[in-house]
Amino acid sequence: MSARTPRLDDPVIAAGISMASMTDRICAITLRERPFVWWWIAFAPCLALTALLAVAIAYLFCRGIGIWGVNWPVMWGFAILSYVWWIAIASGGTIISALFFLTRSEWRDSINRIAESMMLFGALAAGIYPILHLGRPWLFYWLFFYPNSMTLWAQFRSPLLWDFWALLTYVLASVLFWYFGLLPDLASVRDRAVSRGKRRFYGVLACGFRGSRLQWTHMRAAYAVMAAIMAPVVVSIHSIVGLDFAGAATPGWHSTEFPPFFVCGALLSGFAITLLLVIPLRRMLHLQDMMTGRHLDVLCKLLLTSSLCIAYAYLMDAFTTFYGADPAEHELFRMRAFGEYMPVYWGALVFNCLLPQLFWIKRVRVHTPGIVAICLGVVIGMWLERYEIVVTSLARPHLSSAWGAFHGTFWDWATLFGTIGMFLGGILLAVRFVPVVSMHEMRELIASRTAAESGA
Amino acid sequence: MNHASDRLWRSLEEAGGNADFIARVSQEFPNLAASLAAPIDRRRALKLMAASLLMNGLPGCDSKLSENLIPAVRVPSNIVPALQNSYATAHVLGGYATGIVVSHYMGRPVKVAGNPHHPASLGAIDAFAQASLLNFYDPDRAAEIAHRGIPAARADFETALAAQRLSLGADRGAGLRILTGTVTSPTLIAQIRALLEQYPRAQWTQWEPISRDAVMQGAQLAYGRPLELIPRLEQADILVAIDSDLLCSAPGRLRYAREFAQRRNPNRTHAMSRIYAIEPTPTLLGSVADHRFIAGPAQLAHILVALAAGIVDGASAPDPARSLPDWIVPLLEDMKGARGRILVHVGASQPAELHALAHAINDALGGRGVSFDLIEPVSNAGSAGQPLRSLIAEMQSGRVQNLLIIDSNPLYSAPAAWNFEEALRQVSFSVALAQHPDETAQAAAWFVPQTHDWETWSDARAFDGTASILQPQALPLYDGLGAVEMLELYRAPAARSAEQVVRGTWKRQFGDGFDAAWHESLATGVVPDTACAKSGARLRALPAQLNSSAPINDDAALTVLLRPDPSLWDGRFANNPWLQELPRPLTKLVWDNPLLIAPALAARLHLENGDLARVTVARSSVTAPVWIMPGQAPECITAWLGSGRRAAGSIGDGQGIDYYPLTQLPGAATLQKQPGHVRLASTVHHNLLLAASQEVLRHGTLSDYLAHPGVASTAQPEPHIYRTAPPGAAAWAMSIDLNACIGCNACIVACQAENNISVVGKDQVLAEREMHWLRIDRYFAGDPDAPESFFQPVLCMHCEQAPCENVCPVGATVHDSEGLNVMVYNRCVGTRFCSNNCPYKVRRFNFLPYAREQHRPPQSWNPDVTVRVRGVMEKCSYCVQRIAEARIAADRESRPIGAVRTACQSACPTRAFTFGNSADPDSEVARRKSSPLNFSMLERQGTAPRTTYEALIRNPNPAIGAGRKAPPS
Repeated sequence: MSARTPRLDDPVIAAGISMASMTDRICAITLRERPFVWWWIAFAPCLALTALLAVAIAYLFCRGIGIWGVNWPVMWGFAILSYVWWIAIASGGTIISALFFLTRSEWRDSINRIAESMMLFGALAAGIYPILHLGRPWLFYWLFFYPNSMTLWAQFRSPLLWDFWALLTYVLASVLFWYFGLLPDLASVRDRAVSRGKRRFYGVLACGFRGSRLQWTHMRAAYAVMAAIMAPVVVSIHSIVGLDFAGAATPGWHSTEFPPFFVCGALLSGFAITLLLVIPLRRMLHLQDMMTGRHLDVLCKLLLTSSLCIAYAYLMDAFTTFYGADPAEHELFRMRAFGEYMPVYWGALVFNCLLPQLFWIKRVRVHTPGIVAICLGVVIGMWLERYEIVVTSLARPHLSSAWGAFHGTFWDWATLFGTIGMFLGGILLAVRFVPVVSMHEMRELIASRTAAESGA
Repeated sequence: MNHASDRLWRSLEEAGGNADFIARVSQEFPNLAASLAAPIDRRRALKLMAASLLMNGLPGCDSKLSENLIPAVRVPSNIVPALQNSYATAHVLGGYATGIVVSHYMGRPVKVAGNPHHPASLGAIDAFAQASLLNFYDPDRAAEIAHRGIPAARADFETALAAQRLSLGADRGAGLRILTGTVTSPTLIAQIRALLEQYPRAQWTQWEPISRDAVMQGAQLAYGRPLELIPRLEQADILVAIDSDLLCSAPGRLRYAREFAQRRNPNRTHAMSRIYAIEPTPTLLGSVADHRFIAGPAQLAHILVALAAGIVDGASAPDPARSLPDWIVPLLEDMKGARGRILVHVGASQPAELHALAHAINDALGGRGVSFDLIEPVSNAGSAGQPLRSLIAEMQSGRVQNLLIIDSNPLYSAPAAWNFEEALRQVSFSVALAQHPDETAQAAAWFVPQTHDWETWSDARAFDGTASILQPQALPLYDGLGAVEMLELYRAPAARSAEQVVRGTWKRQFGDGFDAAWHESLATGVVPDTACAKSGARLRALPAQLNSSAPINDDAALTVLLRPDPSLWDGRFANNPWLQELPRPLTKLVWDNPLLIAPALAARLHLENGDLARVTVARSSVTAPVWIMPGQAPECITAWLGSGRRAAGSIGDGQGIDYYPLTQLPGAATLQKQPGHVRLASTVHHNLLLAASQEVLRHGTLSDYLAHPGVASTAQPEPHIYRTAPPGAAAWAMSIDLNACIGCNACIVACQAENNISVVGKDQVLAEREMHWLRIDRYFAGDPDAPESFFQPVLCMHCEQAPCENVCPVGATVHDSEGLNVMVYNRCVGTRFCSNNCPYKVRRFNFLPYAREQHRPPQSWNPDVTVRVRGVMEKCSYCVQRIAEARIAADRESRPIGAVRTACQSACPTRAFTFGNSADPDSEVARRKSSPLNFSMLERQGTAPRTTYEALIRNPNPAIGAGRKAPPS
C-alpha cells in the first residue's frame, strides 16, 4: 500500500486486497470525522469561485447580457463555448462509465465513480449556461411544450430546441445513472456509520437498500439499462451540440463533420479530465493500489486515440474548406490560421493533436507529471477549439461590412472560472460524502480475481 | 454652471421672498409660510435651504396650462385617437428652409417627413430635419431666463429691456448691435430693418460658421453682384465638381440629389450623365462620381485655371512650371463636346476666385438656362451689414452697450483669435436668445430661452427663394421667446405675438385674398410664386489678375480643410443623440471627429487610426486623434467642425474635438505625432472589398453594360429542392437602386425615428452593438490612395427562405402570408441564433436595456411601434405598421391595398428605395425588379430575398484609363 510510481505492467488491482479490506478503506474515507486538511485547502478556493459565479449570475440577471463581450456579429460567446466545453467533459465521464460498463472492461471499476461524478457536475455546470445565455433568461421555459392560452409551441426545426431536450434528458439521466450505481455503496456506508446522524443521512440516501437478492437483481438490471441508454444519449447530446452549429448556414459552422467531430472532442476532454482527477485523488486518498499504472496506461491510450480522431477532423476541416469554393469559408480559414485569432487555432492544434502524441512513448503513459501537463494542455486546447468554432466563425460573416471582433469581459471570465470552481467543489463534496470508488463493483472484480486464482 | 444647479438656485431665490412661492407654500404647508415671510438670519437660511430642497418640485407643479388638465369631453374634431395628423412647416439650417411635414399623434409631434410641395424637399428630407424632433424634445433645453447665471423672471428682463430702450432712444441706438445667423426670413428681415430704422446707428451682423460668403463673392467677381447659381443637374450631361458640396451641404442639396439620380440609372434615363469630381477630400458627390481625381488646394486652382484656359477665350494660360495631370486633355475634350449641357460646380469652401473662374467657364460653355440658372440671392448675408470681426473690434473698444444675439453661438464658433469671449465681457447689456444654455448664452448678461421652431411662428426662404411659413406644431414645452417675439420686444414694450407679426408680413404680400392665401400657404407649406427671379446679369470680362489670383500654397505644406460635420453641421446638433450616432458617410465614425489624413501622410508620420497628433496653424494648435481616409489628398487634413462643445448639453458636452480654434488662420499647417491613442468608434471595421465583391455588390461600367446588358444580373436561378412562396395576395418587396444611393444617411435617421430605434452611445458602438436597422455599407476598391467607393444600403432582406426562421427555438421570427419576415418581440427569449444564421447580418440585439436609457421623453416615441426591452432581437420590419395602416384604410373602403411607403423610402432624396407589392406587375417595384440590373445579395445562399438591388453602373470616360477599372468578372 505504500506510495510507489505507477508502472505499465501494474495489475488492475494490487494483489492482497480483499473485499473486506477494500470496503473498509473506502468507507473509512467517507466516514472520516473531519475532512483532510488538503480537502479544505482545495475546497476553499472552489467555494470562493462558486460565490463569484453567484455574483456574476446575479449581475447578469439584473443588467443583461451586455455585461459580456458578445456583440454584433459575434452574438454567441463564452456562454455557448463554455457550455460545449463542459458538456464534452461530462460526456467523457459517461463514456467511461456507461460504454465501458457495457464492454465489461475491468479497468473501469475503480475509476467509474470518479468519472460519473465528473459527468454529474460537468453536466450541471454545462446545464446552467444555456439559460444564462438567453437574452431573457426568465423565459427559458418557453422552450418547453407546455399548454398555454395562446397555443404557442416551440419550433421543431431549430437545433436549439433539440439541444435543449437532449441536454435535459442527459442531465436527468446522468443524475439517475450516478445514483443507481451509488445505492449499494450508500447502503455499505450506512451499515458502517457509527454516529446516529450519519446513519440517518446515508440511510435516507440508500433508499432502504438491504442487499437482498431481489434488490441486487433490480439494481443491476436498472443500472445496465441506464448504461445502455446513456451510451447512445451521450453520442446524441454531443451530436446535437454539433448540429447547433452545423445546422446554421454560417461560414465555419456549415459542415456535416461536426457531430462526429464533437463526439471525438468529448472523448478527448473527458479522458483528460478523468486523468486529471484520478492522479491527485489516488495519491491523496492512498488508492495507488486500486488505481494503478494499468488505469493510467489505458486512459492515456484512449486519449491518444481520440486525439488522432480530432486531428483527422482538423485535417478534414481544412480540406473541405479548400475543396469547397465558398470564398467566405476561404477567408474564414485564412483568418483562423493566420489572422487575429491565430494563437487560438494553433493553440488548439498543438494542445489537442500534437501534444498527446507523446503518449506513443510508453514511459510517458505512467509518468504522472507528464500526464498532468498533457491533460491540462488538452483541457485548454479543447476550450480554444470551442472558442475558434464559436467566436472566430461569427467574426467573419459573408459580408465584410459586418466583420467584427470579440473580447471576453471580466464577467465572461468570472462566469467561466465560477463554473470551474463549482465543478471542482462538487467533485470535492462527492469525494467527501460518497464513496469515491464503486465498492460493489470492486468486490465483484476482487471476487472474479479470486475465483480465477483459485481456479488456476 | 450646469443646468442641474440652475434648478437648485432657483428654489433658493424663490424661498428668499418670492411672493408667489410663499403663496404656494401656504397652501401646502401653512405653518411654514409664516416663517418664510419673516426676515432671514443664518439659522433660518439653513432651514430654508433644507426646506427648499424638499420643495424643489413645487414650482414644477405649476404651468400656464393647468386649467386645461381636464379630459376633454368634446375632443377637437381634428384629433382622432391613434391616428396621426400632419402639418407642414419648414426646417431652417444656415438660414435656408427645407419644407417638412410633422406628424402628430394626439397632438404630440413624433415624426418628420419631407414636403412634396416644397422645391428644396420634393418629398425628401435630410438627417438634420428629421433629427430636429429630438431637438424639440431635448430635456436639456433651457426652461428659464437667466441674468448672469441666476434665474430671473420674465418681468425682470422686460424691465431691464425697457431701461435699455430709453437709453437706445437717446443716442439713436449707437450702442445697439444685433448678431444673427444667416437670415432669409421675410418677417425677421422686416423686423430688423424696422429696428434699424428706429435706431439708425445700430448695426446688424449675420454670422454663419459654415460660410457661403465665397459663393457670393465669386458671383460678385464674375457678374458684379451677388447671385446664386442653381444647378439643373437633370439637364447636365456632364458635371465637373470641384470640391463640390452639392450633395452634402449646399442649400437645395435634396433637390440636387434628386436631379442627380434622374440621370444615373441607365435603364431609366435617356443618357447617363458623367460626373468628374476633382477634390482634396472625399465628398458625397466625389464618392459617386464616374471619375474622382484627387488634388490639393494649389493643384485644384491650377487645374481650374487650365480648364478655363482651354475653354474661355482670353483666359490666361496656367503656370507652365507646374505639371498638369494627363486626364486634363480628355476632360477638356469631353467638356467641349457637351457644350450647353454641362455644369462646372465649385464648393462653398473654395475661394471666391475659383467660383469666378467656374462662372466664366460655365458662361463660355453656354449651359445657362439649361444646365444651370442664375438667380438673385436669397439672403443678403455676406454682402450687407457689419462683419463679425469688426463687431468684435467694436465690442472690445467698448462702443457696444447692447448686443442681441439670436440663435448664434459665436463664443464657440467664432475664430478663437478674434476673442469673442473677452469682447462680450465689455458689453454691459448682452442678450443671448438660444434654445440651450450654450457657451455664448452662459457668458451673456441675459440668457433668454428660445422657443423651438415648432413652438412659434416664423418664415424662411428656400435655396431658390421660395418662402415657407413656419407654423407652430405644439404648445411650448418650456417658457421662452421666439426670434420674432424678441425683436418685437426690442422695438416696443407692448409686443405683438409672433403670429400677428408673421401674419402682418404676409398681409402686405397677399393683399385682399389674405385668408385664402394664408391657409393655402400653411396647408402646402409653400408660399406660391415667391422664388427669386432669374438674373439677367451678364458676365464681366475676366480681369487679368483673376486667372492667377487663387491662393497657391507650397505643395509640400499641409492645409487644414475645416468642413461642417456631416452629422452635426456647425455644432448646433451636438446634443442630438441620433445625429451623434449617425455613421458619417465615408468613415462610418460616430461620436467622434478625428483628423482625416491620407494613407501616405499616415505612413510618413507612422500614424494609425486613433493615434494622437497635434495640428498647428499659425501658433494655434489642436491635439486630436487621426483617422486614415482613403482618397484624401496627402497635402490636406480634413477636420470636421461641430464637436468638442463645452456647453451643448448632457449628450454633446466634451464629445469629440473642437477645431474652431483653427478657423480663419493664414498659413500652412504642421502635423506632429503625439504620444497616446484614442479608441474611435466606427461601425465598419474593415475597409476593403472582398475578392467576391460581385456577390455582394455588383457594379460595372456603362460601356460593358451596353455591350452585355445581362452582365450585372443574375445568370441563372440556382436549383432548389423546395420553395414555397407565401400565399398572400400582396407580395411586399423592395428594390434599391445602387446608382441612386449617395450615402447621405437620410434613410438611417428616418428608420430610427419611425421605428423607435435606440441610441447606444460610444462605448456600446465600440463594443460593436449599434442598433440601426438600416445601415449603409461603404466599400472601397482599388488603390487606398485613390480608391473607388461604393454605398450599399442594407436592411432586412425579408428572404422567402429565411435562414433566421428555421433556427429560432421559440418561433419568434416567422413569415407572414405576404412575405414579411416578422419579428415577434414578445416571443423572443434572446437565443440570438437568428442573427448568427443571417447571411446579411441585419439583426440587432438589445444587449442592455437601451430603450430605458434614451435621452428623450416617452411622448416622443412613435406609438405605432413597440419599444423593445433588453434581451430581445430586432430588425427591419419593412415598416409593418405602415402596411397595417394602409391595409386598414383599404379594408374600410373595400378595395385592394394600395401603395405603402417605408420610412427610408419617403426620406430618400434620390428615390433609391422602391417598396411595394411585387405581385402587382404594374407596381414600380415590380418594374424595377424586372430590370436587367436587378440582383440579389449573396444569391448563392438561396435565401430568395425580397429586397434586391439594381447594380451600380458608372459611366467613365473611355479616353481616361485610370479612372474606373472594369470590375473583376
